[in-house]
Amino acid sequence: MRLLIVEDDAPLASGLRRILEAEGHAVDVTSRGEQAVLAAAQERFDLVILDIGLPQMDGFEVLRRLRAGSPEKNGPMPVLVLTARDAVDDRVRGLDLGADDYMVKPFAMPELTARVRALLRRSQAHGGPRIVHGPLALDTVARRAFLKNEPLERAAREWAVLEVLLGKVEKIVSKEAIIQAVAGWGDDLSPNAIEVYVSRLRSKLEPAGIKIRTVRGFGYMLEEFKGS
Amino acid sequence: MLLPPIAALLVLGALVAYYPSIEPATAAYDQGLIDVGISLGSYIRAAGTGYRLELPAAVDQVLRRDSFDTVYYRVLGPGGEVIAGDDGLPEPASGSSAVVVAYDTAYNGQSVRAVAVPAQCGLESCRVLVAETLVKRTRMARDILFSTLLPEMLIAFATITIVWFGVKRGLGPLARLSEDIKARSPGDLRPIDPAGTPEETRPLVSALNGLLEELSQASRNQQRFLANAAHQLRTPLAGLQAHTELTLAKALPAEVRAELEQVHQATIRTARLANQLLALARAEPGARGNAAELNLKTLAEGEADAWVHQALARDVDLGFELDWAPVQGDAFLLREALANLVHNAIEYSQRGGRVTVRTGRHGVESYIEVEDDGPGIPPAERERVLERFYRVPGTSGTGSGLGLAIVREIAVGHGATISITDGTGAASGTKGCRVAITFPHG
Repeated sequence: MRLLIVEDDAPLASGLRRILEAEGHAVDVTSRGEQAVLAAAQERFDLVILDIGLPQMDGFEVLRRLRAGSPEKNGPMPVLVLTARDAVDDRVRGLDLGADDYMVKPFAMPELTARVRALLRRSQAHGGPRIVHGPLALDTVARRAFLKNEPLERAAREWAVLEVLLGKVEKIVSKEAIIQAVAGWGDDLSPNAIEVYVSRLRSKLEPAGIKIRTVRGFGYMLEEFKGS
Repeated sequence: MLLPPIAALLVLGALVAYYPSIEPATAAYDQGLIDVGISLGSYIRAAGTGYRLELPAAVDQVLRRDSFDTVYYRVLGPGGEVIAGDDGLPEPASGSSAVVVAYDTAYNGQSVRAVAVPAQCGLESCRVLVAETLVKRTRMARDILFSTLLPEMLIAFATITIVWFGVKRGLGPLARLSEDIKARSPGDLRPIDPAGTPEETRPLVSALNGLLEELSQASRNQQRFLANAAHQLRTPLAGLQAHTELTLAKALPAEVRAELEQVHQATIRTARLANQLLALARAEPGARGNAAELNLKTLAEGEADAWVHQALARDVDLGFELDWAPVQGDAFLLREALANLVHNAIEYSQRGGRVTVRTGRHGVESYIEVEDDGPGIPPAERERVLERFYRVPGTSGTGSGLGLAIVREIAVGHGATISITDGTGAASGTKGCRVAITFPHG
C-alpha cells in the first residue's frame, strides 16, 4: 500500500515511516501541508497520515483541500489525523472535515498500526467486494465466507454479525449497534439472541485463531488477527 | 451606625432650645422677688437713731406664703446692721448696695435664689434681701426641658426612620448586585449585564466588567498556552515512543532490552504525567471550559475502546453497566476524570482482575462509579489519596499520585461529590475499591 505521512516533527516522522515500512508499505513523508496537497493531487495514496499542528498551512486546511479537490478515483483517500491537542472541538472539527480516524499524541505503535490496517481494510472494502481477516475471507457481493479457503457455513444472521464486527476490527461494537445492523432481517432481536450468534461464530472461528472478545455489559470486539 | 450622631444632635438641639427659654422664665421669677423686696422696703420706719420694720403680722404671713417655696427675707440698715428678718441670710458676694442684685446662695442648708434690693430710709439707704427655695424654678426648668425634648425626640425618631428606609432603599440594588456576584460560579467570567443594575452602580459595574474581561482574557491566554504546551510536549514524546518501540521490536541483547524497556516505561509515564498536569491546570477555576448538557453513559461509551485496550494489556476484565445519566459539565474534564478512575482501577488490579464502570441515577442525581477487585484503599487513607502527589505507602506501580487529585478537582468544579468505599466483594474476602462521583441534580 502507498502511504503519505504529513508530519513536521522529524524524529516522529522517521519513526512512523520505519514502522509502516516494516509493515510492508511504500511510505512518502513531507513536513509541509502545501506539499501534501500537491502530492495528493498528483498521486493516489491508500492512506494519508496527517498531523494537525503543521507550520503555515495546518492540518485542518490540508484536510479541507483534500476533501474539496477533484472527485477522487476509487473513493476519497482515507485520512488518519494525528494531533497533540486534545480539545474536543479539534476532534469534532477533524471528523467534520472528513477525517476517517483520529489519534492523540503520543500513542503506542501497535495501536497506530492497528488503526492503519483497519482504515486500509475499509478503503479496500470500498474498492472490492472481498474482506480478508487472517484466514477468514468474506465475499460481500456473493455473500460467501471462506475460512482457510474452505466455504464456511453460516446462518444469515451470523453473517450479518460477522460483517459488522469485521468492519470494526479492534473496536468495540455495542450490542445495540449489532442489533440495528441485523434488524433488517425482520423480527425483533434480543441481546440474548446476539449472544447466541456470537457464540456460534466463536466456535467456528476460534480454532482458526480468530478471537471475538466480550466486553462485559457493552458488546464485542473482533481482535486483530495474530496468527493461529 | 447612624444612631450616635443623631442622639448627639438631639442633645445639642435640646440644650440650644433650653437655655434661651429658661432665662426669661428665671428673670420673671427674679422680678417677683424684687417686687417683694420693694414692698418690704416701704415698711421701714425711723425709730430713734435707727430704723425698724413695721410689718403687720398678716402681711408677713402673706409674704412668706407661696404655694411651692419658702420665702426668706432680711432687712439691713444703712450701716449694714440687721433691722429685721431671717438672720444669716447671706448678702451678695459683690455688687454695690445701691443697685438690684440677683444671686444664688444657700440658707438653712438649702439652695436658694436671692435678690438684694436697695430701699430708702430717710436720707440714707437701707438694703432688703429676699430669697426663696428652688421648688417652682426646678419644676419650671423640668417643664421647659420636657416641652423642648419631646418634639426633638419625635423629630429624631422620624429622622432615623426616614434615613433607615432611605438608605435601605438606596442600597438595595447594590445589595442585589453583590448577591448576584456572590451567586456566580467561580469560573463564570461573563460580564455583568448593566441593564439590570441601578443608575448609581453603573460605574462600579463597568469597572467590574473591565476586571472580568481582563480575567477571561488571561484565562484564554492560559488556555492557548496550555494547548501549545501540550503540542510541544506530546509531539517529541510521540517520536521518542515510536523509536523505543521500533528498537524494542528488534533482536536485542537482554541487557539492552531491559534498559530500553525502562526508557519506554518512563516515556509512557512522562506522557501521562504531562496529560495530567495539563488536566489539572485546566480544571482550575476560571480556566474552565464550557458547560454543556452531557450524558455520562455516552461519555463512557466513547472512551470504552481506549480503556478496553488498556485493560487487555494488563489482562483485566473491563465491564460496563451503563444507564442514562445526564449532567451539566465540561466534556473534556469529565472524560479526563473518568479516564483517571478507570486507569487507576486497571493499574491496581491483579492480572485476571475485574473492573466495572457504572453510570446511572440515584433519584435525580447522576453518578459514575468505577469498581475494581484490587487491594482496596484502607479507610484511613481514603481522604489523603485525593491529595496531589499522595500515594498510599507501600503501593507498587508507577503512578504519580495525581490521578485522584485531578478527579477531585474536576468533581469539585462540577459541584459533584466523590466517595471511596469498599468494593462489593469486600464482604466475601476480596477487598476491592469503589470510587463514585455523584453529580447534583441538573
